[in-house]
Amino acid sequence: MKIALCSSLVPFINGGYRNIVEWLKSLLEEHGHQVEIVYLPEVDSPELLFQQMMAFRWVDLEMADRIICFRPEAHLIPHRHKIIWFIHHIRAFYDLWDSPYRGFPDDLKHRGIRDALHRVDGAGLREAKAIFTNSRVVSDRLKRFNQIDSEILYPPVFQSERFRCAGFNDEIVCISRVEHHKRQHLLVEALQHTQTPVRLRLSGASAGADYPRDLSQRISELGLTDRVSLDNRWISEEEKVAQLAHCLAAAYLPLDEDSYGYPSVEASHASKPILTTSDSGGVLELVQDGMNGYITEPSPEALADAMDRLYLDRTKTEAMGISARDRLAELNISWSHVLQRLLA
Amino acid sequence: MKVLIVNSMAPFVWGGAEELAAHLQKNLVIAGHEAEILRIPFQWEPAERIPSQMLMVRAFELWNVDHVIALKFPAYLIRHPKKTLWLLHQYRQAYDLYDAGQTNLPPGQEGLELKYLIRQADQESFAESRNIFTNSEVTRQRLLKYNGFDAAVLLPPVNDPELFPGGDHGDYIFAGGRVNGMKRQHLLLEGLAKADARVKLLIAGPPDSPDDAACLQAVLERVGLADRVRLDLRFLPRQVYAEYVNRSAAVAYLPYDEDSMGYVAMEAATAAKALITTADSGGILGLVKNGETGWVAQPNAEDMAVVMGEVFENSARTKSYGQNARALWESMKIKWPETVETLLR
Amino acid sequence: MNLIVFTPAGVRSAIGRMAALVTRELVALGCQVTVVRTEAQHLLSTDMHDFGTTVLAWDDEASVLALVRSADACVYQIGDSFEFHEGGVRWLADFPGLVCLHDFFLGHLFYGWAQTHRVQAESVLQNWYGKEMAERFFSFSDSESFIEGTREFMPMTEWICSRAEGVITHSQWGCDRVLNSCSGPVRVAPLPYDAPGAINSPFDRRSTDGGTLKLLTIGHANPNKRIASVIQAIGLSPLLRQRIKYRLVGAIEPDAMESLSALAAHLGVNLLISGEVDDSELNRAVNESDVISCIRWPVLEAASASAIEAMLYGKVVIVTDTGFYADIPESCAIKINHSNEIVELQSSLISLLEDQSRVVSLGAAAQNWAAKTFTAKNYAEQVMEIILDVSRSAPAIKAINYFCQTLRQWSYRDNPVVMAELTHQLHIFEQNN
Repeated sequence: MKIALCSSLVPFINGGYRNIVEWLKSLLEEHGHQVEIVYLPEVDSPELLFQQMMAFRWVDLEMADRIICFRPEAHLIPHRHKIIWFIHHIRAFYDLWDSPYRGFPDDLKHRGIRDALHRVDGAGLREAKAIFTNSRVVSDRLKRFNQIDSEILYPPVFQSERFRCAGFNDEIVCISRVEHHKRQHLLVEALQHTQTPVRLRLSGASAGADYPRDLSQRISELGLTDRVSLDNRWISEEEKVAQLAHCLAAAYLPLDEDSYGYPSVEASHASKPILTTSDSGGVLELVQDGMNGYITEPSPEALADAMDRLYLDRTKTEAMGISARDRLAELNISWSHVLQRLLA
Repeated sequence: MKVLIVNSMAPFVWGGAEELAAHLQKNLVIAGHEAEILRIPFQWEPAERIPSQMLMVRAFELWNVDHVIALKFPAYLIRHPKKTLWLLHQYRQAYDLYDAGQTNLPPGQEGLELKYLIRQADQESFAESRNIFTNSEVTRQRLLKYNGFDAAVLLPPVNDPELFPGGDHGDYIFAGGRVNGMKRQHLLLEGLAKADARVKLLIAGPPDSPDDAACLQAVLERVGLADRVRLDLRFLPRQVYAEYVNRSAAVAYLPYDEDSMGYVAMEAATAAKALITTADSGGILGLVKNGETGWVAQPNAEDMAVVMGEVFENSARTKSYGQNARALWESMKIKWPETVETLLR
Repeated sequence: MNLIVFTPAGVRSAIGRMAALVTRELVALGCQVTVVRTEAQHLLSTDMHDFGTTVLAWDDEASVLALVRSADACVYQIGDSFEFHEGGVRWLADFPGLVCLHDFFLGHLFYGWAQTHRVQAESVLQNWYGKEMAERFFSFSDSESFIEGTREFMPMTEWICSRAEGVITHSQWGCDRVLNSCSGPVRVAPLPYDAPGAINSPFDRRSTDGGTLKLLTIGHANPNKRIASVIQAIGLSPLLRQRIKYRLVGAIEPDAMESLSALAAHLGVNLLISGEVDDSELNRAVNESDVISCIRWPVLEAASASAIEAMLYGKVVIVTDTGFYADIPESCAIKINHSNEIVELQSSLISLLEDQSRVVSLGAAAQNWAAKTFTAKNYAEQVMEIILDVSRSAPAIKAINYFCQTLRQWSYRDNPVVMAELTHQLHIFEQNN
């Protein structure tokens, strides 16, 4: 089949959606399909939104047998066989309306734009033959704001067979962007309250210099430099696989994220349990407390307690690691499932 | 700098322009910039759909981009304060092809109005561009004639010159590139039939369609001489192609009236190989000077036969033509670092 | 909602009166409203209706501009008088908003504006009505032929409605041109009115003057009000000549006065011409009357303030069965066909005389219906609702305007196939109101 993968994009910014699109392309091509990626620019400014939305309506992909649409407003592209894998709305007009992230006034004019957007989004989405989302959080939002039902299709990780389990050392790893909302600082604070010699390894790049610098400072202040490794850079895939293979557990505790995040899935493939918090959002669709990891209160003390448990009860830790792997099958987090659903 | 290359896309089709964009991206990165390619789907059938495609491009908003390099219609209609055009294609069916009656624009008043619309939009985009370059002299002339803009020619460099060091003067003439009626590989076969027995020919490249391959086979059968001709009709791996060039005696490229010089010619010159072409081939005549860098034949079998014979008649002369071709090519200074720098002025 | 209402404000303006009622209701519903009065400069200091809020003058450019920029929406009361609506036209040109269309025929408004905008005016005419029509517009020698020559083919409705983000009109009639020219929502809402001078119960007043019926026509005595037809209808029936007292209250030209008096005298009709009177005398005249003639031809208004007022007073109204009047329920008015005007007038008046209880019952039904329908509260709620609708259709309209502007820059010529290609995927942007 000829399949077009369509998404909006911001040039030079690598959002997570780019991974899904590009991995899916590889996979589809492996299965003998012809794939074209259609990335189109989009800027969320209220004044310019609707003319861009109309532009998307004029995109002609009739020569494709089907199209799969990801980031908004790609779902407005018309096609006789449109499939949507919905990642998120333009959130400032939806769930972030009543938040400081809105960025424009809550007045008649903008409410009008908001209401009109909800309606048009709904109409565009309803043209689709099937609607998938990347998490329950997003499915709930689609239902709440656009009254649309959707099927959850969890995004798998690329070439998951690379991940393996080679043992359990004393380190809890956190492999993700080092940013305030990813909350590596919470892990650092927690470490000071631990009773065991459990260690932390934090790896990832940052957009700015402030957060990693503050983090580093705090590690020193707390006298934890010998127990915390902070590697503020994008580590290679090989390094990641190695870290996960040997670690005790993986921690991933962002503040209220929509989707479960690749780190938690990668850890699961490596048969390692996941440490997260009750306010982390989408990760909680994957992690079940005591089954494939621990979900704690977002406080240093509670986290410390869980970290100690992971260290001390190795049997349980290993068992949870195996469950983590099984959980992936339970939730159908696999490319074969993705392919089966998208090409149905 | 963050440079966005903007090109039109015919979905599921990958051709020379896409290759060029990819190489441009690669070389921008080598020069220290961040570069991405924006490929915008363009549907020109039916002709009445074209205005919607134009408006679509015009409505796009670019954020986080320092400089745009746009290559084709309607992609170059995109708005950006720092936009450079490297014009590979206007919508010729509104210009020279319209005049030649080869257009999908409807006949009569309706077609004229669409033509005018495209022209007005083009004028606006050209006027708002920082610099306009074209990829060939022919494109430059057309732009000047129809739109009144005097652009500079910026020839696309060879993408991997290091693959074409040249080498031994072989016993065959190499004809590379896509195989179809317009490329006129059949002329070489017809010429071979009348040429000196020493002349050997290697025609290698992807046929546009099975029919094109069949046509050529048919000509070969007709002229016979299977022992002096080798056909390798497929998309050649780069190394194989390079070897064919490097080991040849001379390289032939004789399309009908092409805008650009053609990579085959540029790569041959890089490898210091003498060039064979025809008087009505178009852009390549910028590189092939009869009696200096190669031969310019009349587009008929007799003339072709003579020229092909001359390649093997005096190999010193042929080699010197090859050296001259390389010298001429290098004097044009068409290399990627310079090209990138020019585009970002 | 923070609103600006552009309207004539003076006590002589019926529209002003209506706007004052609506403004007070909008404020009661929680809106912040500022009024900008739109009359010609020489009228800007006349006594005003009580709006219950700040009133600015339209020519105070700086203040109005500041207001408009910070408002959620502008509401323009528009009627067919340049003297009353000059300011509305000026600001509507630059700041589209909701138009409350009081007259669907706006020829006089346009004519007044065209005096200082001739070139633009010709372009507007050509654009909507074509070159041939446009050339005729300024060629009429008198008022009557002007109206006759323009009302059907060049009513200028589109000129105003094309600047509107939404339109409230007061009857279904004349909507076609509105719908064709306004890209935003269009609603029909009953015109709000009150009748403060009405004596309450119609039931008390039934002391008929020995079987006489008092018939009244209010307003400027122009041919549009069909006064001559009424006189003829009465004159052709001995019964009516005996029992109908016909009074005209309102401005009247000397030659009209002369010809109508002569006609009445000739036919033996009891006609009293009072001319222009003050408000209290007008109230008294209405209260004392039994039947009010609101017949019109041609019908130029989107709604009739005098008919509404008459019904609120509990009077029997006789109307021409067309336009706004056609919307009045059968049980609340006497409707006649213009094609059979005199005969039907005659028979209606006769039947009223024969059964005078109908005067009471019709009047009561009319009053009941009018009081429920023409309320300022209803209207204000409709205004707020349509402003919301406008805010939801504005984003798509703005985008379309952007594309139209681009096409114009590219010298686009109308091509239905191209237009179909452009619009057929845009239907999802329609807000289904």
